[in-house]
Amino acid sequence: MDTQAAVSIADGVTRQLDPRWIPLRRIHNAIFFVVLSMASFVGVIVLWISSRMLVVGLLLLPVWAVVMAAIAWQLYRWPPISYRHASYCLDGEGFEITRGVYWRTITNVPRSRVQHTDVSQGPLERRYGLGTLVVHTAGTMHSQETLSGLEFTVARQIRAHLLPGDEGDAV
Amino acid sequence: MPSDHRLHPTSILFSLAGSLKAFLLPAIVLMVTSGRSSDTPAPDGFGPGRWMTRWMPGDVEIANWQFFLLLLLIPSTIAAVVRYFSFRMRYEGTELVIRSGIFFRNERHVPYARIQNLDAVRNVAHRLLGVAEVRIETGGGQAPEATIRVLHETVFEEMRRRIFEERARAAGQADAVATETETPAVPAPAAESRTLLHLPLREVFLNGVLDNRGMLLIGAAYGLLWEAGLFRGFWDQLARGAYAPGLVRDTVQTMAGGDVPSLSRIAVLLVGVVGLLVLVRLLSMIWSGVRLYEFTLSRVGDDLRSEYGLFTRVMATIPLRRVQTLTIRESPLQRLVKRMSIRVDTAGGTATPEGGPKQPREALAPIIRRDAVPALVREVLPGVELDAIEWLPLHPRAFRRAVKPAMLIALAVTAPLIGILGWPGVAVLPFTAVWLALVTWKQVRRMQWAASGDLIAFRSGWFWRHVTVAPVVKVQTVTRTESPFDRRNAMAGVQVDTAGGRMHQIRIPYLARETAGTLHERLASQAAQTAFRW
Repeated sequence: MDTQAAVSIADGVTRQLDPRWIPLRRIHNAIFFVVLSMASFVGVIVLWISSRMLVVGLLLLPVWAVVMAAIAWQLYRWPPISYRHASYCLDGEGFEITRGVYWRTITNVPRSRVQHTDVSQGPLERRYGLGTLVVHTAGTMHSQETLSGLEFTVARQIRAHLLPGDEGDAV
Repeated sequence: MPSDHRLHPTSILFSLAGSLKAFLLPAIVLMVTSGRSSDTPAPDGFGPGRWMTRWMPGDVEIANWQFFLLLLLIPSTIAAVVRYFSFRMRYEGTELVIRSGIFFRNERHVPYARIQNLDAVRNVAHRLLGVAEVRIETGGGQAPEATIRVLHETVFEEMRRRIFEERARAAGQADAVATETETPAVPAPAAESRTLLHLPLREVFLNGVLDNRGMLLIGAAYGLLWEAGLFRGFWDQLARGAYAPGLVRDTVQTMAGGDVPSLSRIAVLLVGVVGLLVLVRLLSMIWSGVRLYEFTLSRVGDDLRSEYGLFTRVMATIPLRRVQTLTIRESPLQRLVKRMSIRVDTAGGTATPEGGPKQPREALAPIIRRDAVPALVREVLPGVELDAIEWLPLHPRAFRRAVKPAMLIALAVTAPLIGILGWPGVAVLPFTAVWLALVTWKQVRRMQWAASGDLIAFRSGWFWRHVTVAPVVKVQTVTRTESPFDRRNAMAGVQVDTAGGRMHQIRIPYLARETAGTLHERLASQAAQTAFRW
């Protein structure tokens, strides 16, 4: 993929995201899960005590544990699934992003409509060498298209390709 | 520099008036409340008000709050003076340069080619002094790029002439600035002005009747009065009068009790309701009259220019090639009298003057006869024949899909009723279900799309009908959506995003998968290619 990208990224080939996106997503989800479980644990305890049914209320805890376990399993399972359903394709005309497992969307951003682009990299992304590409258009509904999980160098190559030339403004 | 322009000297006054206005409401509230408390003789306090009173000629008395109000005005006065003395504006080859600020200097370059619209607003005071508040909008952001208050009328005229002439010239040199138009705009030797639409007073009032702004006015008035605390007295009076405010409640209770309310009571209620409705419409008519008095839409060269307003005159200029989408709206009442309204969206913000009330841009044609619509559309989007558009329906099974969520809504609406009325509430379900099914049927039948040549059109709605037309060159992104239900039925939806389209967005649901695919591919590549034609 790296060698291909070095030649030209705009060849109309549909590409997958970088596989390192999966562990990255899992870390993100783990952080989310820790916050969620702590917050909901406090909530459950408060509910238990305030309900004044100390014995029956004890049943809340296993229910909470089961729900949290289900969420945890889902959060662990989801990144590879969404990875399989996400792809992008770049050609001379523009940029196509495919996303979504159940609700699928395919968005086309013509190259001539790109107003500006951002490539950002958070601390975790930096560890994995990934980057997030944000493409801004003058639109109203989808005025920005975000694609995370690109290799950082690839994201920058795409950016370089999408940068508006001297074709004037499309507004 | 010789070509530098400054603000009109009265700018200071207008800025002050602006900040005074911001203080007005709190001041009124204060006055009302303090007026009440001042019935008791004021104790000989200290405070700065006392102190100032001593220095005032005659027996002008200054309360403490008045003094603080004056104190609050000092910073805005300084700001107004600074703004007046620091403001410089000059025209350069391809851009307008605005400099302002003394300590923090700001120089803003606005290329003529990027200006989306240029508006001048003149209220009564502006008109008496022959000045105008000018707003310049470019593509980005919600707020105008530059709000210049205030300029002398002749300066504004010159600005408008220069900006649009320079732009036309720049556009003429096709390479310098990109134009959307197929043929680059040739600088017109003398831009002729042609009236496209003029609204006589009758139409303006009719617009008021059709457009229900009256309710908004009443709401605003109610809020204001409430704030001023005037309602307490009003309600007291009403409660002591012949009919208590509980009239409606009493009547409902009587009816719920199984008794027939007295005839006179029903009559009073009916007269009240009808009177209120008439009052609302009347207010709406007056509001429309004030807002749209002498509405004129004309075409000057390659620009659309509209002018309207009784007290506050607004002059809006929209370059034709900046029109992103055009939306035709038809409400049930409008349909009754064969009228429509047309709105165009530009990429500019929604013209919210800083600190002022939010006022959306007035429609291109707030009210227009149905048979005059195609001609106006042809004028705004050359080559678009509204009657010749070949509308395509949604998927044949679209209704079968759309009716399912509608039935769920019917259930959700009826469920609380069952909770309140018990099982007899179920009897309501058939009615809501049938009604929602009918509405869905009509809506699905009305929802149509067209993508022919270089434009995309979408229409929807049964009661409130909307038709939106956008040239493909204005398409920003194209999205194909597929929900799990879509997939089961081999369907998909297409969403077309433009820089305009805030009112009615192009979202075509329930298309056959292949149709959606072709439409998506075609629009995307067409949009991509139009840019390269420059």
